[in-house]
Amino acid sequence: MGEKKYVMGNFAITRGAVESGVQVAAGYPGTPSTEILEGFAEYQGIHAEWSCNEKVALEVALGASLSNVRSMAVMKHNGTNVATDLLMHLNFTGISGGLVVISADDPAGHSSQNEEDSRILVHTYANLPVFDPSNAIEAKSMVKDAYELSEKTEMCFILRPVMRVCHSRAVIPFEDYDEASFPKAQWRDDRDRYIMSGVEVPELGGIKRPQARHRWLNNKYKELQELFEGSPYNHVEDGEGNIGLVGCGIGYTYIKEAAGMLGKKYPILKLCTLPIPKKKVLGFLQDKEKVIVFEELEPVVENLIKQLCQENRIPMEVLGRSGFYPPDGELTAQMVLDAVKKADPQVKVIEEFQARKIDIEIPVRTRTQCVGCSYRGLLYNVKRIARRYKGIVFGDIGCHDAGSFKPLELQSTIYCMGASVGMATGAFFAGEKRPVFSIIGDSTFFHLGLNGLINASYQNGKQVVVLCDNATTAMTGFQPHAGSGINLYGESAKKVDLDKFGEAIGVSVHHVDPYDNKRTYETLKEAVQEEGVSLVVSSGACYLKGSREGIKFFEPREVHVDQERCNGCMVCINDFGCPALIYEADKKKVHIDELTCVHCGMCAVVCKRGAIS
Amino acid sequence: MKKDILIAGVGGQGSLFATNVLCQYALERGLNVLGTETIGAAQRGGSVVSHMRISDQPIYSPLVPPGRGDVLLGMESIEFLRNIKILARNGYYILNLYSLPTVYTNLGIDRYPSEDEIVAAVKEACEKGYIIPATVKAAELGNTQMTNVVMLGVLGKVDDFFEYSEVKKIVEKISPKKFLKENLMAYEAGRELV
Repeated sequence: MGEKKYVMGNFAITRGAVESGVQVAAGYPGTPSTEILEGFAEYQGIHAEWSCNEKVALEVALGASLSNVRSMAVMKHNGTNVATDLLMHLNFTGISGGLVVISADDPAGHSSQNEEDSRILVHTYANLPVFDPSNAIEAKSMVKDAYELSEKTEMCFILRPVMRVCHSRAVIPFEDYDEASFPKAQWRDDRDRYIMSGVEVPELGGIKRPQARHRWLNNKYKELQELFEGSPYNHVEDGEGNIGLVGCGIGYTYIKEAAGMLGKKYPILKLCTLPIPKKKVLGFLQDKEKVIVFEELEPVVENLIKQLCQENRIPMEVLGRSGFYPPDGELTAQMVLDAVKKADPQVKVIEEFQARKIDIEIPVRTRTQCVGCSYRGLLYNVKRIARRYKGIVFGDIGCHDAGSFKPLELQSTIYCMGASVGMATGAFFAGEKRPVFSIIGDSTFFHLGLNGLINASYQNGKQVVVLCDNATTAMTGFQPHAGSGINLYGESAKKVDLDKFGEAIGVSVHHVDPYDNKRTYETLKEAVQEEGVSLVVSSGACYLKGSREGIKFFEPREVHVDQERCNGCMVCINDFGCPALIYEADKKKVHIDELTCVHCGMCAVVCKRGAIS
Repeated sequence: MKKDILIAGVGGQGSLFATNVLCQYALERGLNVLGTETIGAAQRGGSVVSHMRISDQPIYSPLVPPGRGDVLLGMESIEFLRNIKILARNGYYILNLYSLPTVYTNLGIDRYPSEDEIVAAVKEACEKGYIIPATVKAAELGNTQMTNVVMLGVLGKVDDFFEYSEVKKIVEKISPKKFLKENLMAYEAGRELV
């Protein structure tokens, strides 16, 4: 009969897929989506994989779908950017077995390099149908419906949960399912659809296939608009007055939260599908003077409603993300309250929020490498070398990117996955006289870094690529990758041999143990002086992961700062920056916080006065 | 009834375990529970905030709106201060007086306020609450990782909604075996602090 469990929204999505009979699930880790794919490890008989990147993941999912089984691709918004090339083809071909793509957004960029609304890519650009869940329970239900509708319409469906859905925790119904009823793989050629190429289609007057399939997609879009008129995810709630509130996804949730604090009951239109159901929206607009659309993060639905008003000659104030309330950042119930008050100044707010006065400056807290992390010693030495040779360091995504903040301020750039290597190549060919470095993590390297490395070598560039290899995707919570030697299930897997890879593409490969300070420095020095592209692989398992598993990284040693010798020069703080090293401004001395220190002893080599031992 | 709780701390302080205990407590009483946490950089010494909402009515937002929090648990002093806006007028706080310097305070760019300044500011801003040395207590018991459980012990003592012995049963139920004995000691120790 099933049961109810208190779980994270992401696991509700996994469960929805499992109950729907998903056979293949592929993705690449990225907050806030990561746990969705991790959740599959608990279920038997499903192939789940951490693919090298999101485009590969979507290719895997599509291949499974065309083999007639249900599949899922999981990614965060940046990953959807990577997968977009394929999205812009599978939208034309359609699918066979149900295919659902999860594109999780991180409004405010709590754990991202940017903030973006992936509905623009998957809907406005690729014209695919989107479900935008307002909470975790709905997300699960949407996944199940998406599989049914995906097969019914032959379209790939997108679920776009935002971080507050992914990382909410709620009581979720776990229903039973019958594995025997799930379709088995059965490939059927459908060359008119699956061969995307500019060949003529005689039955359509000789137009080319891309145009013919585009026409198919446009017709599908109209079909979906009709279909969503009756969707359970779109509904109207009656209220008083001529101001209507439109809630999309989590926007609906914040409207409901705010409604409890408003002295007036406004009519609400919940819209959690794209395309929007035109008739339902027109019905809602009928007796209104203005509507406020609450959505994450861009004015997507707002613009669709404006378009609808224009098409139907409806004079209506359509307010929303385009500037009526803040056009950036995460939506909150307070933003709903503020926007409603602005649109309807007469309205009373029950228990108006009054900020507590706090007469104290609150310091910011940036993240840094964990105490004991092998990256700290590595970054310390890269900084020494970069300083000595006046190098420019291009950065990438991952734990090592904390080296770009204070105190190290080592990396000069952080863009998207794998960008460091290509950008360093560009700086070199621009004629930059200073030596160029790139720093990239292992998971990022296998994601999209190796193309840049092959290119750097092929173009006969010159740079030092520092590969921070901790054998896992640490930033998102330790997911394995092609260099880990294990798969998603923790089973043994093939591992890329970086020496052979380097040899094959013509770069020199060096290895360093990041806990060996002297050798690390010498190796980096050697690399910066050699011709061509050098790949310096710094191998040291993730300390956070390994120490939990009981792995011994170093011989623990008692470390203390000799208060007589310390002259407060701050070198250990500025160039090493371990959180266990505390500087006391009034005494102008450094001491070690016993509660934080893990006794790796790395800091002892940093102090040139020998005060740390 | 409703109980909106916020736990503010630094990654690695164990706020998730504390959240799980309190949620389990509410679920066993047949109440609605909804929560969320900001965990992005949690494993790298970043700020962590866990929101937990308990009610006999439907709950919509997983985030506790500013000024609506009934309880604010601060596992670290400045993370507590950072989230003080969440506390309702009639809400109360439990602050573990414990300072984890930041990169910026270490560098002298920011200044970490002194304990006296923190206590004064908290008392000025909030009417009701408890300032306790939970981490010091946990260290005395042998492991600072038990700060979270010490704080649960305080909560069980001072909050009528959370029955002391019932919360203890849940701590007992969901503690990993190797920490069970220590956790129960830490829970008891929390009661002694207030």
